[in-house]
Amino acid sequence: MMSEAVITLDHVSASEGNQVRVDDFSLTVRRGEAVALVGSSISGKGVALQLCAGLEAPESGSVRILGVNPAAASEEEMLHLRRRVGFAFVKPALLSALNVFDNVALPLRYHAIFPEATIHDRVMARLAECGVEGLRDRFPAGLAMGDARLVAMARAMALDAEILCVDEALFGMDADELVRFRKIVENYRKQRTVTLVATFSAPTRLFAMMDRLVLIRNGRVVADCPPAEASRVADPMVRDFVTT
Amino acid sequence: MIAWTGKKTVEGIAYAADVLFLSYLAFKEFLSPARRGRSEVSKAVTRQLLLIGVDALPVVGAMALMLGLIVIIQAGLVLPQVGADAFLAHVIVVTIIRELGPLLTAFIVIWRSGTVMCTELGFMRVDQEIAALEAMGIHVIGLLVMPRMVGAIVSMVCLTVYFDLVAVIGGFVVAKIALTIPFAAYLTEIEKALSMADVLITVIKSSLFGLAIAVICCHHGLSVGSAMAEVPQQATGALLNTVAVCLILDIVVSISFYL
Repeated sequence: MMSEAVITLDHVSASEGNQVRVDDFSLTVRRGEAVALVGSSISGKGVALQLCAGLEAPESGSVRILGVNPAAASEEEMLHLRRRVGFAFVKPALLSALNVFDNVALPLRYHAIFPEATIHDRVMARLAECGVEGLRDRFPAGLAMGDARLVAMARAMALDAEILCVDEALFGMDADELVRFRKIVENYRKQRTVTLVATFSAPTRLFAMMDRLVLIRNGRVVADCPPAEASRVADPMVRDFVTT
Repeated sequence: MIAWTGKKTVEGIAYAADVLFLSYLAFKEFLSPARRGRSEVSKAVTRQLLLIGVDALPVVGAMALMLGLIVIIQAGLVLPQVGADAFLAHVIVVTIIRELGPLLTAFIVIWRSGTVMCTELGFMRVDQEIAALEAMGIHVIGLLVMPRMVGAIVSMVCLTVYFDLVAVIGGFVVAKIALTIPFAAYLTEIEKALSMADVLITVIKSSLFGLAIAVICCHHGLSVGSAMAEVPQQATGALLNTVAVCLILDIVVSISFYL
Protein backbone atom coordinates (compact mmCIF):
# COMPACT_ATOMS: atom_id res chain seq x y z
CA MET A 1 0.00 0.00 0.00
CA MET A 2 1.35 3.45 -0.94
CA SER A 3 1.91 5.84 1.91
CA GLU A 4 0.34 9.30 1.93
CA ALA A 5 1.82 12.17 -0.08
CA VAL A 6 3.60 14.63 2.22
CA ILE A 7 4.82 17.01 -0.50
CA THR A 8 2.89 17.82 -3.66
CA LEU A 9 4.09 20.37 -6.19
CA ASP A 10 1.51 20.68 -8.94
CA HIS A 11 2.55 22.48 -12.16
CA VAL A 12 4.58 24.99 -10.17
CA SER A 13 6.57 27.84 -11.71
CA ALA A 14 8.95 30.22 -9.92
CA SER A 15 11.56 32.73 -11.03
CA GLU A 16 14.35 34.87 -9.59
CA GLY A 17 14.44 38.29 -11.21
CA ASN A 18 13.95 37.74 -14.92
CA GLN A 19 15.22 34.18 -14.81
CA VAL A 20 12.74 31.31 -14.66
CA ARG A 21 14.10 28.77 -12.14
CA VAL A 22 11.38 26.10 -12.19
CA ASP A 23 8.79 25.83 -14.91
CA ASP A 24 5.64 23.70 -14.87
CA PHE A 25 7.29 21.54 -12.21
CA SER A 26 5.35 18.70 -10.65
CA LEU A 27 6.56 16.37 -7.91
CA THR A 28 4.95 14.14 -5.32
CA VAL A 29 6.93 12.81 -2.35
CA ARG A 30 5.40 10.16 -0.09
CA ARG A 31 5.96 9.69 3.63
CA GLY A 32 9.21 7.89 4.43
CA GLU A 33 10.62 8.25 0.92
CA ALA A 34 14.18 9.38 0.20
CA VAL A 35 14.22 11.49 -2.94
CA ALA A 36 17.28 12.96 -4.66
CA LEU A 37 16.79 16.08 -6.79
CA VAL A 38 19.67 15.88 -9.21
CA GLY A 39 20.97 18.42 -11.72
CA SER A 40 23.60 20.99 -12.50
CA SER A 41 24.06 24.01 -10.23
CA ILE A 42 21.75 26.14 -12.43
CA SER A 43 19.13 23.47 -13.04
CA GLY A 44 16.65 24.93 -10.57
CA LYS A 45 16.80 22.05 -8.09
CA GLY A 46 17.62 24.41 -5.19
CA VAL A 47 14.45 26.44 -5.84
CA ALA A 48 12.49 23.18 -6.18
CA LEU A 49 13.81 22.13 -2.76
CA GLN A 50 12.83 25.47 -1.21
CA LEU A 51 9.33 25.02 -2.70
CA CYS A 52 9.21 21.53 -1.12
CA ALA A 53 9.99 23.12 2.27
CA GLY A 54 7.56 26.02 1.86
CA LEU A 55 10.39 28.55 1.99
CA GLU A 56 9.66 29.86 -1.50
CA ALA A 57 6.28 30.91 -2.87
CA PRO A 58 5.40 29.77 -6.40
CA GLU A 59 4.22 32.24 -9.03
CA SER A 60 1.77 29.70 -10.43
CA GLY A 61 0.65 26.20 -9.60
CA SER A 62 -0.04 24.84 -6.15
CA VAL A 63 2.05 23.47 -3.29
CA ARG A 64 0.88 21.25 -0.43
CA ILE A 65 3.22 20.25 2.36
CA LEU A 66 1.92 17.91 5.07
CA GLY A 67 -1.58 18.92 4.00
CA VAL A 68 -0.89 22.66 4.27
CA ASN A 69 -0.96 25.10 1.37
CA PRO A 70 1.74 27.64 2.39
CA ALA A 71 0.20 30.34 0.16
CA ALA A 72 -3.12 30.18 2.04
CA ALA A 73 -1.83 29.25 5.52
CA SER A 74 -2.19 31.49 8.57
CA GLU A 75 0.87 32.62 10.52
CA GLU A 76 0.13 29.97 13.17
CA GLU A 77 -0.22 27.20 10.56
CA MET A 78 3.06 28.25 8.92
CA LEU A 79 4.81 28.23 12.29
CA HIS A 80 3.53 24.70 12.93
CA LEU A 81 4.63 23.66 9.43
CA ARG A 82 8.13 25.10 9.98
CA ARG A 83 8.52 22.88 13.02
CA ARG A 84 7.59 19.80 10.96
CA VAL A 85 9.97 20.53 8.07
CA GLY A 86 13.72 20.75 8.71
CA PHE A 87 15.92 22.51 6.19
CA ALA A 88 19.72 22.35 5.93
CA PHE A 89 21.05 25.10 3.67
CA VAL A 90 24.16 24.84 1.49
CA LYS A 91 25.94 27.12 3.94
CA PRO A 92 25.67 25.70 7.46
CA ALA A 93 24.04 28.96 8.65
CA LEU A 94 24.90 28.29 12.29
CA LEU A 95 24.63 31.33 14.55
CA SER A 96 28.23 32.41 15.09
CA ALA A 97 27.58 33.76 18.61
CA LEU A 98 26.34 30.37 19.86
CA ASN A 99 28.30 27.15 20.34
CA VAL A 100 27.26 23.89 18.67
CA PHE A 101 25.07 22.76 21.58
CA ASP A 102 23.23 26.10 21.81
CA ASN A 103 22.76 26.23 18.04
CA VAL A 104 20.99 22.87 18.06
CA ALA A 105 19.08 23.79 21.23
CA LEU A 106 17.91 27.13 19.80
CA PRO A 107 14.70 25.92 18.07
CA LEU A 108 13.81 23.78 21.11
CA ARG A 109 14.34 26.68 23.52
CA TYR A 110 12.63 29.21 21.26
CA HIS A 111 9.50 27.13 20.83
CA ALA A 112 9.61 26.37 24.58
CA ILE A 113 8.31 22.84 24.19
CA PHE A 114 10.50 21.01 26.69
CA PRO A 115 12.22 21.66 30.03
CA GLU A 116 15.97 22.31 29.89
CA ALA A 117 16.90 18.75 31.02
CA THR A 118 14.89 17.24 28.15
CA ILE A 119 16.39 19.76 25.73
CA HIS A 120 19.87 18.63 26.81
CA ASP A 121 19.06 14.96 26.18
CA ARG A 122 17.43 15.65 22.82
CA VAL A 123 20.26 17.86 21.61
CA MET A 124 22.88 15.28 22.58
CA ALA A 125 20.86 12.55 20.88
CA ARG A 126 20.67 14.58 17.65
CA LEU A 127 24.37 15.42 17.79
CA ALA A 128 25.20 11.72 18.32
CA GLU A 129 22.92 10.75 15.43
CA CYS A 130 24.93 13.07 13.17
CA GLY A 131 28.28 11.95 14.64
CA VAL A 132 29.22 15.40 15.97
CA GLU A 133 28.56 15.01 19.72
CA GLY A 134 32.26 15.66 20.42
CA LEU A 135 31.94 19.17 19.02
CA ARG A 136 29.22 20.34 21.43
CA ASP A 137 31.28 23.15 22.99
CA ARG A 138 32.93 24.37 19.79
CA PHE A 139 31.87 27.57 18.03
CA PRO A 140 30.94 27.54 14.32
CA ALA A 141 34.03 29.53 13.33
CA GLY A 142 36.24 26.63 14.45
CA LEU A 143 34.39 23.89 12.57
CA ALA A 144 35.26 22.26 9.26
CA MET A 145 32.59 22.82 6.61
CA GLY A 146 31.45 19.20 6.65
CA ASP A 147 31.16 19.11 10.46
CA ALA A 148 29.26 22.42 10.41
CA ARG A 149 26.86 20.99 7.83
CA LEU A 150 26.25 17.90 9.98
CA VAL A 151 25.55 20.19 12.98
CA ALA A 152 23.13 22.15 10.78
CA MET A 153 21.35 18.88 9.95
CA ALA A 154 21.15 18.04 13.67
CA ARG A 155 19.60 21.48 14.23
CA ALA A 156 17.17 21.02 11.34
CA MET A 157 16.00 17.77 12.96
CA ALA A 158 15.98 19.09 16.54
CA LEU A 159 12.22 19.56 16.54
CA ASP A 160 11.68 15.98 15.26
CA ALA A 161 10.89 17.19 11.78
CA GLU A 162 8.87 14.82 9.61
CA ILE A 163 10.58 16.05 6.45
CA LEU A 164 14.29 16.83 6.16
CA CYS A 165 15.39 18.89 3.15
CA VAL A 166 19.14 19.05 2.51
CA ASP A 167 20.48 21.43 -0.11
CA GLU A 168 23.63 20.23 -1.92
CA ALA A 169 24.04 17.25 0.38
CA LEU A 170 27.65 16.56 -0.61
CA PHE A 171 28.92 20.14 -0.48
CA GLY A 172 31.96 20.61 1.75
CA MET A 173 32.01 17.02 3.04
CA ASP A 174 35.23 15.02 3.25
CA ALA A 175 35.27 11.19 3.17
CA ASP A 176 34.73 10.83 6.93
CA GLU A 177 31.86 13.31 6.98
CA LEU A 178 30.28 11.59 3.97
CA VAL A 179 30.32 8.31 5.90
CA ARG A 180 28.51 10.04 8.76
CA PHE A 181 25.98 11.55 6.36
CA ARG A 182 25.48 8.09 4.82
CA LYS A 183 24.72 6.71 8.30
CA ILE A 184 22.12 9.43 8.86
CA VAL A 185 20.42 8.50 5.58
CA GLU A 186 20.63 4.77 6.41
CA ASN A 187 19.08 5.43 9.79
CA TYR A 188 16.17 7.34 8.28
CA ARG A 189 15.74 4.68 5.61
CA LYS A 190 15.45 2.03 8.34
CA GLN A 191 13.01 4.00 10.48
CA ARG A 192 10.90 5.17 7.55
CA THR A 193 9.60 7.96 9.78
CA VAL A 194 11.49 10.81 8.17
CA THR A 195 10.99 11.85 4.57
CA LEU A 196 14.28 12.94 3.03
CA VAL A 197 14.59 15.28 0.05
CA ALA A 198 18.13 16.21 -0.91
CA THR A 199 19.74 17.94 -3.87
CA PHE A 200 22.89 16.71 -5.60
CA SER A 201 25.02 18.35 -8.28
CA ALA A 202 27.23 15.35 -8.91
CA PRO A 203 26.77 11.58 -9.14
CA THR A 204 27.36 9.71 -5.88
CA ARG A 205 27.06 6.22 -4.48
CA LEU A 206 24.47 7.65 -2.11
CA PHE A 207 22.02 7.49 -5.04
CA ALA A 208 21.75 3.76 -4.40
CA MET A 209 20.18 4.51 -1.00
CA MET A 210 17.48 6.72 -2.45
CA ASP A 211 14.02 5.59 -3.49
CA ARG A 212 13.90 7.95 -6.44
CA LEU A 213 16.13 10.17 -8.50
CA VAL A 214 14.42 13.24 -9.93
CA LEU A 215 16.64 14.63 -12.67
CA ILE A 216 16.09 18.32 -13.37
CA ARG A 217 17.25 20.45 -16.29
CA ASN A 218 16.29 24.08 -16.98
CA GLY A 219 13.72 23.99 -14.19
CA ARG A 220 11.87 20.97 -15.56
CA VAL A 221 11.78 17.31 -14.55
CA VAL A 222 13.44 15.24 -17.26
CA ALA A 223 13.34 11.92 -15.43
CA ASP A 224 11.79 10.58 -12.23
CA CYS A 225 12.72 6.97 -11.56
CA PRO A 226 14.34 4.57 -9.07
CA PRO A 227 18.16 4.79 -9.13
CA ALA A 228 18.52 1.38 -10.79
CA GLU A 229 16.50 2.54 -13.78
CA ALA A 230 18.24 5.88 -14.28
CA SER A 231 20.87 4.41 -16.59
CA ARG A 232 18.09 3.26 -18.94
CA VAL A 233 16.54 6.74 -19.28
CA ALA A 234 16.45 7.80 -22.94
CA ASP A 235 17.84 11.29 -22.28
CA PRO A 236 21.63 11.08 -22.98
CA MET A 237 22.48 13.80 -20.43
CA VAL A 238 20.71 11.82 -17.72
CA ARG A 239 22.41 8.60 -18.74
CA ASP A 240 25.81 10.27 -18.74
CA PHE A 241 25.11 11.90 -15.40
CA VAL A 242 24.16 8.77 -13.49
CA THR A 243 26.70 6.48 -15.12
CA THR A 244 29.70 8.82 -14.70
CA MET B 1 17.22 67.14 -13.19
CA ILE B 2 13.49 67.08 -12.42
CA ALA B 3 13.38 63.33 -13.09
CA TRP B 4 16.41 62.80 -10.81
CA THR B 5 14.79 64.90 -8.04
CA GLY B 6 11.52 63.00 -8.42
CA LYS B 7 13.31 59.64 -8.33
CA LYS B 8 15.30 60.57 -5.23
CA THR B 9 12.15 61.89 -3.51
CA VAL B 10 10.26 58.65 -4.19
CA GLU B 11 13.26 56.62 -2.96
CA GLY B 12 13.46 58.77 0.18
CA ILE B 13 9.76 58.31 0.92
CA ALA B 14 10.01 54.55 0.33
CA TYR B 15 13.07 54.39 2.64
CA ALA B 16 11.29 56.36 5.39
CA ALA B 17 8.22 54.13 5.02
CA ASP B 18 10.36 50.98 5.31
CA VAL B 19 12.14 52.28 8.43
CA LEU B 20 8.86 53.37 10.05
CA PHE B 21 7.27 50.00 9.24
CA LEU B 22 10.22 48.17 10.81
CA SER B 23 9.84 50.39 13.93
CA TYR B 24 6.14 49.50 14.03
CA LEU B 25 6.88 45.76 13.77
CA ALA B 26 9.56 45.95 16.47
CA PHE B 27 7.25 47.91 18.80
CA LYS B 28 4.44 45.45 18.11
CA GLU B 29 6.78 42.62 19.14
CA PHE B 30 7.77 44.53 22.27
CA LEU B 31 4.23 45.37 23.35
CA SER B 32 2.71 41.98 22.58
CA PRO B 33 5.59 39.52 22.80
CA ALA B 34 4.81 36.15 21.27
CA ARG B 35 4.27 33.23 23.59
CA ARG B 36 7.37 31.63 22.09
CA GLY B 37 10.99 32.52 22.58
CA ARG B 38 10.65 34.68 25.70
CA SER B 39 13.79 33.34 27.33
CA GLU B 40 15.83 33.63 24.12
CA VAL B 41 14.54 37.19 23.53
CA SER B 42 15.35 38.15 27.15
CA LYS B 43 18.89 36.81 26.67
CA ALA B 44 19.20 38.81 23.45
CA VAL B 45 18.02 42.02 25.19
CA THR B 46 20.53 41.50 28.03
CA ARG B 47 23.33 40.91 25.51
CA GLN B 48 22.45 44.13 23.69
CA LEU B 49 22.34 46.12 26.95
CA LEU B 50 25.84 44.85 27.72
CA LEU B 51 27.21 45.52 24.23
CA ILE B 52 25.58 48.90 23.62
CA GLY B 53 25.42 50.25 27.16
CA VAL B 54 27.86 48.72 29.64
CA ASP B 55 30.75 48.24 27.19
CA ALA B 56 30.44 51.90 26.08
CA LEU B 57 30.87 53.34 29.59
CA PRO B 58 34.67 53.92 29.37
CA VAL B 59 34.61 55.69 26.00
CA VAL B 60 31.51 57.74 26.87
CA GLY B 61 33.08 58.70 30.21
CA ALA B 62 36.35 59.77 28.58
CA MET B 63 34.58 61.83 25.90
CA ALA B 64 32.28 63.42 28.49
CA LEU B 65 35.18 64.34 30.75
CA MET B 66 37.09 65.98 27.90
CA LEU B 67 34.05 67.85 26.57
CA GLY B 68 33.06 69.02 30.07
CA LEU B 69 36.61 70.22 30.69
CA ILE B 70 36.71 72.19 27.42
CA VAL B 71 33.28 73.83 27.86
CA ILE B 72 33.78 74.64 31.56
CA ILE B 73 37.28 76.08 31.09
CA GLN B 74 36.25 78.18 28.09
CA ALA B 75 33.02 79.42 29.70
CA GLY B 76 34.71 79.90 33.07
CA LEU B 77 37.47 82.03 31.54
CA VAL B 78 35.49 84.00 28.92
CA LEU B 79 32.25 84.78 30.76
CA PRO B 80 33.89 86.80 33.61
CA GLN B 81 35.66 88.93 30.99
CA VAL B 82 32.27 90.16 29.70
CA GLY B 83 30.74 90.36 33.16
CA ALA B 84 28.53 87.32 32.60
CA ASP B 85 30.11 84.91 35.10
CA ALA B 86 26.68 84.36 36.67
CA PHE B 87 25.65 82.58 33.48
CA LEU B 88 28.25 79.79 33.70
CA ALA B 89 25.70 77.27 34.95
CA HIS B 90 23.21 78.28 32.23
CA VAL B 91 25.85 77.86 29.53
CA ILE B 92 26.70 74.39 30.84
CA VAL B 93 23.06 73.32 31.07
CA VAL B 94 22.29 74.57 27.56
CA THR B 95 25.40 73.27 25.81
CA ILE B 96 26.06 70.01 27.64
CA ILE B 97 22.80 68.77 29.13
CA ARG B 98 20.36 70.01 26.52
CA GLU B 99 22.34 69.55 23.32
CA LEU B 100 25.82 68.05 23.29
CA GLY B 101 25.17 65.31 25.87
CA PRO B 102 22.46 63.46 23.95
CA LEU B 103 23.97 64.21 20.55
CA LEU B 104 27.56 63.17 21.30
CA THR B 105 26.36 60.07 23.15
CA ALA B 106 24.30 59.19 20.07
CA PHE B 107 27.35 59.63 17.84
CA ILE B 108 29.40 57.34 20.09
CA VAL B 109 26.63 54.71 20.06
CA ILE B 110 26.33 54.99 16.25
CA TRP B 111 30.09 54.67 15.84
CA ARG B 112 30.45 51.77 18.32
CA SER B 113 27.19 49.84 18.06
CA GLY B 114 25.22 51.08 15.05
CA THR B 115 27.82 49.87 12.59
CA VAL B 116 28.13 46.59 14.50
CA MET B 117 24.34 46.04 14.32
CA CYS B 118 24.34 46.70 10.58
CA THR B 119 27.34 44.54 9.72
CA GLU B 120 26.29 41.72 12.08
CA LEU B 121 22.84 41.45 10.50
CA GLY B 122 24.34 41.89 7.03
CA PHE B 123 26.73 38.98 7.53
CA MET B 124 23.90 36.92 9.02
CA ARG B 125 21.92 37.58 5.84
CA VAL B 126 24.85 36.64 3.57
CA ASP B 127 25.59 33.47 5.59
CA GLN B 128 21.89 32.46 5.39
CA GLU B 129 21.63 32.56 9.20
CA ILE B 130 18.49 34.69 8.91
CA ALA B 131 16.99 32.31 6.34
CA ALA B 132 17.79 29.43 8.72
CA LEU B 133 16.02 31.21 11.60
CA GLU B 134 12.95 31.75 9.43
CA ALA B 135 13.07 28.10 8.34
CA MET B 136 12.98 27.05 12.03
CA GLY B 137 9.90 29.19 12.63
CA ILE B 138 11.87 31.76 14.63
CA HIS B 139 10.56 35.31 14.33
CA VAL B 140 13.45 37.41 13.03
CA ILE B 141 12.04 40.80 14.09
CA GLY B 142 11.33 39.46 17.59
CA LEU B 143 14.74 37.82 18.06
CA LEU B 144 17.04 40.21 16.18
CA VAL B 145 15.48 43.68 15.78
CA MET B 146 13.36 44.18 18.89
CA PRO B 147 16.18 43.31 21.39
CA ARG B 148 18.50 45.74 19.57
CA MET B 149 15.82 48.44 19.67
CA VAL B 150 15.15 47.97 23.40
CA GLY B 151 18.89 47.74 24.12
CA ALA B 152 19.64 50.92 22.15
CA ILE B 153 16.83 52.99 23.72
CA VAL B 154 17.59 51.98 27.32
CA SER B 155 21.35 52.28 26.78
CA MET B 156 21.03 55.70 25.13
CA VAL B 157 19.01 57.10 28.05
CA CYS B 158 21.41 55.68 30.65
CA LEU B 159 24.55 56.68 28.73
CA THR B 160 23.25 60.23 28.20
CA VAL B 161 22.60 60.68 31.93
CA TYR B 162 26.07 59.24 32.61
CA PHE B 163 27.62 61.54 29.98
CA ASP B 164 25.94 64.62 31.51
CA LEU B 165 27.01 63.72 35.05
CA VAL B 166 30.63 63.06 34.07
CA ALA B 167 30.81 66.17 31.87
CA VAL B 168 29.27 68.53 34.44
CA ILE B 169 30.85 67.18 37.63
CA GLY B 170 34.02 65.54 36.33
CA GLY B 171 34.71 68.41 33.98
CA PHE B 172 34.46 70.88 36.82
CA VAL B 173 36.69 68.86 39.14
CA VAL B 174 39.42 68.81 36.50
CA ALA B 175 38.83 72.44 35.50
CA LYS B 176 39.12 73.49 39.14
CA ILE B 177 42.86 73.81 38.51
CA ALA B 178 42.20 76.85 36.31
CA LEU B 179 39.06 78.25 37.96
CA THR B 180 38.37 79.83 41.34
CA ILE B 181 34.64 79.02 41.67
CA PRO B 182 33.83 76.89 44.75
CA PHE B 183 32.43 73.45 43.93
CA ALA B 184 29.36 73.82 46.18
CA ALA B 185 28.44 77.16 44.59
CA TYR B 186 28.91 75.65 41.14
CA LEU B 187 26.57 72.75 41.93
CA THR B 188 23.94 75.10 43.42
CA GLU B 189 24.01 77.21 40.25
CA ILE B 190 23.67 74.13 38.04
CA GLU B 191 20.72 72.97 40.16
CA LYS B 192 19.04 76.36 39.76
CA ALA B 193 19.64 76.49 36.00
CA LEU B 194 18.47 72.92 35.40
CA SER B 195 14.70 72.50 35.11
CA MET B 196 12.62 69.32 35.13
CA ALA B 197 11.81 70.06 31.47
CA ASP B 198 15.53 69.87 30.60
CA VAL B 199 15.79 66.41 32.12
CA LEU B 200 12.59 65.24 30.44
CA ILE B 201 13.63 66.58 27.03
CA THR B 202 17.05 64.96 27.36
CA VAL B 203 15.35 61.64 28.05
CA ILE B 204 12.98 62.14 25.08
CA LYS B 205 15.85 63.03 22.77
CA SER B 206 18.05 60.13 23.82
CA SER B 207 15.13 57.67 23.51
CA LEU B 208 14.41 58.90 19.98
CA PHE B 209 18.10 58.70 19.07
CA GLY B 210 18.28 55.13 20.42
CA LEU B 211 15.21 54.16 18.41
CA ALA B 212 16.58 55.77 15.24
CA ILE B 213 20.02 54.16 15.62
CA ALA B 214 18.64 50.64 16.16
CA VAL B 215 15.93 50.68 13.52
CA ILE B 216 17.94 52.38 10.75
CA CYS B 217 21.01 50.19 11.31
CA CYS B 218 18.90 47.00 11.49
CA HIS B 219 17.03 48.06 8.35
CA HIS B 220 20.31 48.48 6.45
CA GLY B 221 21.67 45.18 7.80
CA LEU B 222 18.54 43.27 6.78
CA SER B 223 18.64 44.95 3.34
CA VAL B 224 21.88 43.15 2.44
CA GLY B 225 21.31 40.64 -0.36
CA SER B 226 23.61 37.70 -0.94
CA ALA B 227 26.92 39.47 -1.68
CA MET B 228 29.57 40.15 0.96
CA ALA B 229 30.42 43.45 -0.81
CA GLU B 230 27.00 44.85 0.11
CA VAL B 231 27.78 44.75 3.85
CA PRO B 232 30.24 47.71 3.99
CA GLN B 233 28.05 49.64 1.53
CA GLN B 234 25.01 49.23 3.77
CA ALA B 235 27.10 50.03 6.87
CA THR B 236 28.23 53.32 5.33
CA GLY B 237 24.65 54.17 4.37
CA ALA B 238 23.44 53.29 7.87
CA LEU B 239 26.12 55.49 9.47
CA LEU B 240 25.35 58.54 7.33
CA ASN B 241 21.57 58.20 7.54
CA THR B 242 21.59 57.63 11.31
CA VAL B 243 23.74 60.72 11.92
CA ALA B 244 21.46 62.79 9.65
CA VAL B 245 18.27 61.50 11.30
CA CYS B 246 19.66 62.14 14.81
CA LEU B 247 20.54 65.74 13.87
CA ILE B 248 17.07 66.28 12.35
CA LEU B 249 15.40 64.78 15.43
CA ASP B 250 17.54 67.00 17.67
CA ILE B 251 16.49 70.12 15.75
CA VAL B 252 12.81 69.10 15.74
CA VAL B 253 12.73 68.36 19.49
CA SER B 254 14.69 71.51 20.39
CA ILE B 255 12.43 73.73 18.26
CA SER B 256 9.28 72.04 19.58
CA PHE B 257 10.17 72.46 23.25
CA TYR B 258 12.38 75.51 23.47
CA LEU B 259 11.05 77.94 20.86
